[in-house]
Amino acid sequence: MTMVSSSMPPEPGMAARAAAWLAMALRASWPFAAFFIGFFLVWEYSVAIFKIPGYILPTPSQIVSNGWADIPRLLDYTLITGAESLIGYLLAICIGVPVGLAIAFWKPLQRTVYPFLVSLEMVPKIAFAPLFIAWLGFGLLPKVIIVVLVCFFPVALNAIHAFGSLSDELTRFCRSTGAGPLRTFWKVRLPAALPQCFVGFKYAALNATVGATIAEFMGSDQGLGFYIQIATGNMRPDLAFAGIFFLTLLGLALFGAVSLAEKLLIPWHITLRRH
Amino acid sequence: MGATIDIRSLTKTFGAGPGAVHAFGPIDLTIESGSFVSLLGPSGCGKSTLMLMIAGLLDATRGDVFFDDAKVDGPRTDIGIMFQDNTLVPWRTVEGNVALQLELRGLDPRDYADRIRDLLRSVKLDGFQHRHPYELSGGMQQRAAFCQALVHEPDTLLFDEPLGKLDAMTRESIRTDLQALWMQKRPTVVFVTHSIEEAVQLSSTVCVVTPRPGRIERRIDIDLPWPRDLEVKASARFTQYVREIQGIFHDYGVL
Repeated sequence: MTMVSSSMPPEPGMAARAAAWLAMALRASWPFAAFFIGFFLVWEYSVAIFKIPGYILPTPSQIVSNGWADIPRLLDYTLITGAESLIGYLLAICIGVPVGLAIAFWKPLQRTVYPFLVSLEMVPKIAFAPLFIAWLGFGLLPKVIIVVLVCFFPVALNAIHAFGSLSDELTRFCRSTGAGPLRTFWKVRLPAALPQCFVGFKYAALNATVGATIAEFMGSDQGLGFYIQIATGNMRPDLAFAGIFFLTLLGLALFGAVSLAEKLLIPWHITLRRH
Repeated sequence: MGATIDIRSLTKTFGAGPGAVHAFGPIDLTIESGSFVSLLGPSGCGKSTLMLMIAGLLDATRGDVFFDDAKVDGPRTDIGIMFQDNTLVPWRTVEGNVALQLELRGLDPRDYADRIRDLLRSVKLDGFQHRHPYELSGGMQQRAAFCQALVHEPDTLLFDEPLGKLDAMTRESIRTDLQALWMQKRPTVVFVTHSIEEAVQLSSTVCVVTPRPGRIERRIDIDLPWPRDLEVKASARFTQYVREIQGIFHDYGVL
């Protein structure tokens, strides 16, 4: 290594900069990493020390090895729950944003639909899950509807707020240019509303997998929620934990994708926050 | 040369019934073409409301505004406006924000590339055209907003305390730029401010607006040589004008 680097021109190369970055990242995050690893170590050995039976609390190593043995089914179910969450989430956005837009711009709706939505927001949406299962059966549709239900409100309410809160100055500026409503929308109102819309999208992304899982608890024959319920019934908490792990991955993936979209669509906002 | 603005018995009342607030008026005022008129008054005297009504952005309760004998009904699109809180949008660069004025008017910014460059250079923002507003100081942001308000070559400019939130040094520097521009192109300027010195320094005429309901208490033509540099500001006559106006506000219990 020393031979190679001494024969290279003495400039800070990619490798050196990457190493420096890695060192910095390690320095910044080692307390977290240490705590994270420590948590699982304490878990692993407490189970042995306190002689907790496996059907009550499995060790992390049991979860990994037994989960690995059942990996095809877990992956299969991850896809199913993922599809329910994703379809419901995207539908909620496709419905919620236009509804928010309409309410923000059309006064009669503000006096009728808006108060109705706000009072519905008080209702725990998940309580409707058994009804939808009863009405629509065990298939994909009731799950998607329940996901839409839990994702729609944060999306719509934030969209109303986003499109209804352009500053007086900017509104007047646009009017003084003589620009029509459509041009004003594309050039100013829409980009100005995006940050607040993403607040709703991110919140809804957290809700999506929750909705899908609970819908599966209520009645299904596949998916991670179903898997967790069956595993628990069979006194196999190790497999239930494996299912929870994949659910977590699913939630992280969805939230990560939304965050990435935010970064790509409104980089100026992210930079703004960092300053 | 800019438009002549005629304000005839303009009155604004917010609300109705016993809770109504009489903001100002009736006001009669003629702002001659090519003049620089300041509306000077304490906060809450309705001077910003008056400016919005001149721009056609707010309806009057009574009375009318005329631009060269054309009655204002609806937003005037041939003017440039600058507010205390600037209208720069965070997702566009300095250059893009200036171009926004053109794009909203359905114009192609590429046809104005030279003008945008010259404008930015004239306010010492060359080199910053690709920066975003949040990367600039407050003074630089207002300079960029100034270019945004001017890029479509309006011959009437309305300013609503554009320097209100800036520090003293930056204010002084932007005043100089503003004055240079006015002397060169002679647009009609309506300038809302609560700084007596600023009004005397920049204006051909200062309209002293009294507290609510706002009325134009006195119209003072400022007879000082241009440009009004530090030397003029140090002169006895400059101080005299400032004292005279201070006296008016003192009589009204504002000062």
